[in-house]
Amino acid sequence: MNQLRTWFLAPARLLTFGFFLAPLAIVVLYSFLTRGTYGGQGAPFTLENYTRLADPLYLEILVKSFWIAILSTAICLVMGFPLALFIARSGPQWRGTWINLVMLPFWTNFLVRTYAWMFLLRDTGLINTAFQGLGLISQPLPLLYNDGAVILGLVYGYLPFMVLPIFSTLERQDPFLLEAAADLGATPWQTLWRVTVPMAKPGILAGSVLVFIPCLGAYLTPDLMGGGKSIMIGNVVQQQFTSSRDWPFGAALSLVLTALVMVLLWFIMRRGGKELI
Amino acid sequence: MRRRTFFLSLSGLAGCTQNRAPRLNVYNWSDYIGTETLANFEKETGIRVHYGVFENNEEMLAKVFGGNSGWDIAFPSNYFIGPMRESRLLARIDRGQLKNLGNLDPMLAAPEWDPRLEHSVPYMWGATGIVFNKSAAGGLKSWADLWDEKHKGRMTMLDDPADAIGAALKKLGHSINSPDAAHLAAAQAELLRQKPLVRAYLNAEARNQLIAGDLQAAQLWGTTSQQAIDAAPHLGFAYPVEGYARYADNAVILRESRRLDLAHRFIDYLLRPDVAADIVKDSRTASANAAARALLPVQVRENPVLYPPPEVLMRAEWFAPLPPAAQRLRDRYWTEIKSA
Repeated sequence: MNQLRTWFLAPARLLTFGFFLAPLAIVVLYSFLTRGTYGGQGAPFTLENYTRLADPLYLEILVKSFWIAILSTAICLVMGFPLALFIARSGPQWRGTWINLVMLPFWTNFLVRTYAWMFLLRDTGLINTAFQGLGLISQPLPLLYNDGAVILGLVYGYLPFMVLPIFSTLERQDPFLLEAAADLGATPWQTLWRVTVPMAKPGILAGSVLVFIPCLGAYLTPDLMGGGKSIMIGNVVQQQFTSSRDWPFGAALSLVLTALVMVLLWFIMRRGGKELI
Repeated sequence: MRRRTFFLSLSGLAGCTQNRAPRLNVYNWSDYIGTETLANFEKETGIRVHYGVFENNEEMLAKVFGGNSGWDIAFPSNYFIGPMRESRLLARIDRGQLKNLGNLDPMLAAPEWDPRLEHSVPYMWGATGIVFNKSAAGGLKSWADLWDEKHKGRMTMLDDPADAIGAALKKLGHSINSPDAAHLAAAQAELLRQKPLVRAYLNAEARNQLIAGDLQAAQLWGTTSQQAIDAAPHLGFAYPVEGYARYADNAVILRESRRLDLAHRFIDYLLRPDVAADIVKDSRTASANAAARALLPVQVRENPVLYPPPEVLMRAEWFAPLPPAAQRLRDRYWTEIKSA
């Protein structure tokens, strides 16, 4: 029995070690090395890559990245919760269809979908052309290349990660509880706030975490939809590995980002997300 | 059983051909070769070519930096030749094996980054200028025109620290490669002042938006601009009066290569006028090969965007590598500009 267990766990252990811990160890090592004159890295060991992070420049970008991620997560929640509720309350014959529609975008590559948004939002794109054709506006609206476009792209990309966990907690909800609440004199709003939402809390937390983390590290969306005009911390990391050729600093930046996310997760779990595990 | 023998013999066959035909590994920029170039080379010489592409110098350097990448030939830009030579990544070029070397454009026969062509052979070159919508923007002539309020929200700069900061340096009358901290700080101030007018920092993506009419003006590479002009004749192009940046991409043989003879044969093949002419017909870039240029149609070889006339070329300055401290400062200023 014990031997069987070892064998069954072996692939997972191999995966965790080979594809997560070992690369992470390399990143940790690099973050303490010195950048070579022309790229590359080597001795001596140094803390300089971390002390550089105290620079207000990087802190400001980090704070801004947090704000964009928080805002995107909040919008996903406000949009995703009613949708999840609607799907959970619709008849069993429809649920599968709605869930499939939520997952449908995943059939296409995220990069391609981002370019599709850019075609919609451009000055000569579908939206501006249609509005101008209808005489609603005379000048094209600046829909692309600003923070709003970045948030739109993030919300669009990660909304399904909010809907699915909330749906799975609401689906399990016993309909008799709602009847009981109504029998005891609760209005529909009170039932929603005091019965449905508390029961959906694990789903809400899981969804928020699943949306927040990729938003915080996003680099493709700010680069394409933001036009490089409003960069997030992911872009700074990417820049270190490309044009700056400063891998040690890039490694330190990404480790600090990882550490911040881990602290945040730990905090959420301590504060009542125990259902998450 | 029979099926197994069949597969065994197949794999044996594959092994045979692999051993017989010598193989050369060539690592080049994307869209930088003719459609028939490699097939013709294989037919003529019996040397098989394994061809891979990269999108920027940093990507290429990261791959070959360790010295066991498996590539024999790569095509770094001129400002990467010095760093790669000092990092001991480049093999010596044996000029005796390159009988077509005389076909090179005289301006590239003794370039400042490798005056005796000991480690590199120029392949293509290009420069950065301004492409604009003739009807909407009028004619632009200088970098300073990209600071004009009338282009607000309809103008893009390149998403590249060397090019964007380089334009500001030129506008201020400094060298494109100035390592001077005061010059770089002044250039940063210029770009910060310009940022409210900038629609986005875009590279090749600007081409589509110029064609569609979203943009009035853009800082863009000549070759990319020419592609846009081919599709949209309402576009015009200028190499700015203050001066502008020029780069060249060069064939190098990596020190790790154990096929130096084959590598020289391939480079010599690329230097042949007919071969080089076919490459530029397909890639629409500017060849470093003067003899090839003579074979091109007159409207191509006298195209002022791809092959600017001598009086315009006089204003150009080659990109050069910055000292590490200056490079770090420039990167930092660039991060500040983009996050402002």
